[in-house]
Amino acid sequence: MSLLLKTHYELAKSSLRQNRTRSFLTCLGIGIGVASIILILSLMGSISSLISSQVSQMGSDLIVVRPSSTRSTVDSVVNELTSSTQYLKSNLTLKDVSLIEKLNNVSSVAPLAVSVNSLQGDDFVPSATIVGTNANFLKIQNLTLKSGTFLREDAKTNTAVIGAGLANDLYGTDEPIGKSLTLLGSRFIIVGVLSKVDDPINFNNLDLDSSLFVSAKVLNQIDNSLQIQQINVRATNTDGIEDTVNLIRETLIASKAGDTNFSVLYGEEITHPAGTLFSIISGTLAIVAGVSLIVGGIGVMNIMLVSVSERTHEIGVRKAVGASFSNIFLQFLFEALILTLTGGFFGLALAYVLAFLISLVTPFAPYISWEILAVSFLTSFADGLIFGLYPAIKAAKKNPISSLKFWG
Amino acid sequence: MAEENEIIIKLESLTKRYGYGDAASYALKDFDLTVKRGEFIMIMGPSGCGKTTLLNIIGLLDAPTSGVYLLNNEPASRISARRQARLRSKKIGFIFQNFNLIPDLPIIENVALPLVYSGYHKTRRLIRASEVLDRFNLKEKEYYMPFQLSGGQQQRAAIARAIVSGPEIILADEPTGNLDSHSSSLVMEELKRIHSEGNTIIMVTHNPTLTKYATRVINMLDGAIDTDIKTVKDSDLPVPVASRKKKPQKSLKKQKKSKNKKKKGKK
Repeated sequence: MSLLLKTHYELAKSSLRQNRTRSFLTCLGIGIGVASIILILSLMGSISSLISSQVSQMGSDLIVVRPSSTRSTVDSVVNELTSSTQYLKSNLTLKDVSLIEKLNNVSSVAPLAVSVNSLQGDDFVPSATIVGTNANFLKIQNLTLKSGTFLREDAKTNTAVIGAGLANDLYGTDEPIGKSLTLLGSRFIIVGVLSKVDDPINFNNLDLDSSLFVSAKVLNQIDNSLQIQQINVRATNTDGIEDTVNLIRETLIASKAGDTNFSVLYGEEITHPAGTLFSIISGTLAIVAGVSLIVGGIGVMNIMLVSVSERTHEIGVRKAVGASFSNIFLQFLFEALILTLTGGFFGLALAYVLAFLISLVTPFAPYISWEILAVSFLTSFADGLIFGLYPAIKAAKKNPISSLKFWG
Repeated sequence: MAEENEIIIKLESLTKRYGYGDAASYALKDFDLTVKRGEFIMIMGPSGCGKTTLLNIIGLLDAPTSGVYLLNNEPASRISARRQARLRSKKIGFIFQNFNLIPDLPIIENVALPLVYSGYHKTRRLIRASEVLDRFNLKEKEYYMPFQLSGGQQQRAAIARAIVSGPEIILADEPTGNLDSHSSSLVMEELKRIHSEGNTIIMVTHNPTLTKYATRVINMLDGAIDTDIKTVKDSDLPVPVASRKKKPQKSLKKQKKSKNKKKKGKK
């Protein structure tokens, strides 16, 4: 059997060599399809690993409390995208923050109440990200200040800390300390500027560089509808972190009278919502790219059909000297498979060249995993199988006598 | 000797019809024929009398509309398509008027083609094809493409292809039809030599001067036998030479297998 397959492989290879340009162009079609899928998968992989590495940098003592389940369905992730509905849904409160603060093995707690509002500084910014939090945020996030101080619990006036990017937008400088701004009709004094983080993708779903940080309590006084999207907790001791997670969960359930519509996460789980979101986006993109694979497959089928009709006489001769249905069928199927697998291989190479080029201008490093290699192999194999089947059957079914009379 | 010349092909009231009803035409009509091993039959007759159809049916490329075709006493209708293909590669050799070499393959690979389908390793195929080409004085043209050869050389290569797997029956459809008289006599000498080794040859021709090579001449008319003359007694037909009965050479895999068996036996 292996001898037979090897023979078919040799036959297919030699007939593809006879039409080098045609074979190359067909491979190219498949290659582009595979490349686009691999590129998307590679980007998705690199985003996931970026977030994971951030979380591991944050330390294994980080616990995150989020409203609603993170075992998200497509709907809930899409809701996160169209965020306003999600803000309303949050059932986390400032009371929860103070409850968690009192627990054992908890070193510091910071709420994250994210909203989007217009800001009036020297310039007007119609939609800036406002983060209501507390003094612990800086420590929990391992952030540093470029200048000034962070929010203080004992501040007498409304203070705000600004991201470097937003500072530029509002004041045209990254040193706006002492300047004031108006948020929701209240005046805030800038007391600190965050160092540039350049981390637009992170587990908080926040671009810290273009956010404004104010006290959650103050924000709650100005605007009663304060919604906390996330509570970040640092444990004192990593060893007992699972117990701490359970303790937080039980405490919150007790305080919310049995409402379990929130989740307490640590370690890898923290990346989940961001990961799911990107999976869905890239999954959709991959399906779109899959269309190009179908187009490539149709190209293969077209070329194979041309090849079958051009070689009708050859098929007749082969049948006359003893080729069976399966001999001819396999010869043509192998040709299609060689075309698509070679195309898949080139696609893989092309995808990584592109991924490398993209990595030069973005933080997304090319990401290789055996799943991606398997996907590229399987998609190109399936392409060859599906689109090579009909031409191969057509070739194998040819009548030897009429084929022998055919001179292409 | 009589045992050696057993019946190899038997056709009983074979009919091949094309079309239906009023449009029906018969290429063969109630055709009976018995062929013994070692016969060199020449089939003559006007165009359209069913000669080629007869060869195609005998060569298992076509099936009769009705009637019985016994190949080595086995009804052809009961042979599966897969086995028919295997028989074509091992037991039957075809020679065509227009040579039917594959233009994209060098001569040696064209000659080795039937061995592809009888499971020979590539090296073995080429060695065997080279041996046969040597016999036809084409060894130095092995790697020429078909278009680089003259008609006579192409036909000799096609004959080499027909006998490469050591078939019992050789079917030739006007093998000299496209050749000049010199090439044509060369080709006939080759066929004569193959016949003298005990092969059965059935050849269709329009050329009455070639009948001198035959042991039996059949004239066909309108899908049936008109005259059937045996020029050589059955008892004087050539018998297969001892070497002809041997398989050409086993494939590498089979050789390995048999070696393994031997080794196992020794253990």
